[in-house]
Amino acid sequence: MDPRLSEEQEILQKSARDFLTDKCPKSLVREMEKDEKGYSPQLWREVADLGWMGLAFPEKYSGSGMSFLDLSVLLEEMGRVCFPGPFFSTVILGGLPIMDVGSDEQKQKYLPQIASGKAIFTLALTESSGRYEASSIKARATADKNAYVINGTKLFVPDANVADYILCVARTDEKSKGEEGLTIFIVDTKSPGISTTVLKTIARDKQCEVIFKQVKVPKENILGKLNQGWGEVQKIIERAAIAKCCEMVGGMQVVLDMTVAYVKERVQFDVPIGVFQAIQHHCVNMLVDVEGSRAAAYEAAWRVSTGRPYSSEAAITKAWVSDAYYRVVTLGTQAHGGVAIIEDHDMPLYYRRAKAAELAFGDARFHRKTVARKLGFAAE
Amino acid sequence: MDFELTPEEKAFQKEIREFLDKECNEHVVAEVLSMLGEGPYSKELLLKMGARRLLAPRWPVEYGGRAMGAMAEAIKVDEINTHHAPFPLDGVEIGNSLLIVGNEEQKKRFLPGIARGEIEFALGYSEPNAGSDVASVQLRAVEDGDHFILNGQKIYNTEAHFSDYHWLLTRSDPNAVKKHRGLTLFMVDLKSPGITIRPLITMAGLRTNEVFYEDVKVPKANMVGEKNGGWAVLMSALYGSAGGGGPATSTKRVIENLVKYVLEEKQDADKNQWIPEAMADLYIRTHVGELMGLRATALADLKVSPPYGGGGAASRLLGGDTRRLLYNIAMQILGPYGQLAKDSKWAPLNGEILREYMDAPRWTIVHGSQEIQKLNIATRGLGLPRK
Repeated sequence: MDPRLSEEQEILQKSARDFLTDKCPKSLVREMEKDEKGYSPQLWREVADLGWMGLAFPEKYSGSGMSFLDLSVLLEEMGRVCFPGPFFSTVILGGLPIMDVGSDEQKQKYLPQIASGKAIFTLALTESSGRYEASSIKARATADKNAYVINGTKLFVPDANVADYILCVARTDEKSKGEEGLTIFIVDTKSPGISTTVLKTIARDKQCEVIFKQVKVPKENILGKLNQGWGEVQKIIERAAIAKCCEMVGGMQVVLDMTVAYVKERVQFDVPIGVFQAIQHHCVNMLVDVEGSRAAAYEAAWRVSTGRPYSSEAAITKAWVSDAYYRVVTLGTQAHGGVAIIEDHDMPLYYRRAKAAELAFGDARFHRKTVARKLGFAAE
Repeated sequence: MDFELTPEEKAFQKEIREFLDKECNEHVVAEVLSMLGEGPYSKELLLKMGARRLLAPRWPVEYGGRAMGAMAEAIKVDEINTHHAPFPLDGVEIGNSLLIVGNEEQKKRFLPGIARGEIEFALGYSEPNAGSDVASVQLRAVEDGDHFILNGQKIYNTEAHFSDYHWLLTRSDPNAVKKHRGLTLFMVDLKSPGITIRPLITMAGLRTNEVFYEDVKVPKANMVGEKNGGWAVLMSALYGSAGGGGPATSTKRVIENLVKYVLEEKQDADKNQWIPEAMADLYIRTHVGELMGLRATALADLKVSPPYGGGGAASRLLGGDTRRLLYNIAMQILGPYGQLAKDSKWAPLNGEILREYMDAPRWTIVHGSQEIQKLNIATRGLGLPRK
């Protein structure tokens, strides 16, 4: 057993860290929170030039042929700096599904566009219930000659405001209610009938309401199999949950380091407050959460990378890390005292993102239900 | 990056598992679960394990080991726990220390016997006034010719009543400016005249002991390390064990059996309400703790200095909390039946949950309380300042 990064991963990590430290200061992060698009096209181009979008795509599709695990190393670095923009949406929610179940034509068409930074993707899945369950999907896609017509409202669609394509999960079998009868469509956002509203979220991360009104999508844009989309959707959620956890580990690590540094410097009662046991215990509890999250997230990412089953580990990991990041930012804020509750401080950036990440792709309670089912308890 | 056990480690796990499946019979289990010490069946099994070189896999082959790593040790502990086999923790930990600080004569005299299960040791650190503050021990060792004379008292020496030797931390210099520089470690034959052992029973029914020393003679040949150099010996015993944790099969088995109990025997609606999420949470904590422990142990075997001075302590913190939580949840699942002792009418699951619930507080106290572990992680691991 060897839990260390490989030499290539260490090089990737170092170069990513140097690049992001230089190019993604907190001032940019805050600027992008207010920005209409939510990302810097300039930085996006630079990231594309580094090959990050196509890192895990096969070389024949303009990728670098690296692995999901390598991508996870990158995501942790992005989590460290609160990297703004549609990278996660494009690569994890768009690129990986196309790589997984796309036809050769679809891979040829879309993957190089993603790799070059030309196309932004996202996934429209949740609806008004806000849940990641098949039964909550009511958006309809009705057959119409060589196309399908989509009607429905999707919520919490990340980066839909800038996406060139949206992977939309809709019900194609009108008689179905649950996991049967769902299909994933690649929808060109230039299609008439799509209206997008950016929601004002805790992390100001451009999650959107997307209304589909008579949106026509050609049959060739079905991703995977007609009426059998849920299997892939489940994998998308599981992979995204694991990827999100790797990103969260980056943020958690920074919060821990920031807090330890602060309590060594901050003097009260003539001593650094890091001397006091209550503060020491907060830091140690944070450490347990960070180390546990790191161990779980990377083991899960390794499973994805090496073709091992990862469904249980996705649920276990996201359940743990969701609550762990919350605890870390809560204790970190507590240890900092007053300074960290002021919005200008770096801590609120992480505090807000911790909650957004917790909620994405199933929170702890959602995934504990999955684990309970895997232990043998009946589904609700 | 790779999270698989090596083929040798898997083979070792298979070997010890199959061995214990076969040899750890109900008589052994009954003795171990009685928590009264080591009975004859347990001793017999210990000797069989020793003959198969299963007790000290990390030691050199010449001393009865298999020259494997900390991971093998962790696998051994997990399999012993899963099977309720006797748990000779102290002897092997002490042996690890002897390998580092013992002289050649001592290594030859003790290590093979420990590895064979023939020689058993009890730790002799704690005193009524020296628990977490172990450097405060007062049991006096006075040099007298070719031996030392020992006077004083130890407490909570759990294996003392069935062990052969006492790994005894003494005060050899009461005038040392720094108290931890006046300590000496001896290996004392527990059959020596002047030693009295008195039982103390915990609320779980576990027998531990007070051990009284009255003018007990110990030969200089049984001094480990230097006179007044006992602190270094202690540190080698505590930290020489390295590693952080290993497979958590034993805990996962308990959880799975509890789920089975709920699904097959529990009648009320709780099984669909709070219990599934609570059990899932326990499984998640166990799994995450397991991965943390494996990670720390793997790094120790790679001789890589882990970040924060050893993630093993962090995983032990999580493990201790999880254990307490597990048995409290288990008691809540059993409802009023949980309070029934093993031999009571209506007692569920052989009273196992009650026994473990009563024993749970011990695990976050012994071998370094959680508070001390947090202090160490904070100051050594995170570099936070001391007073």
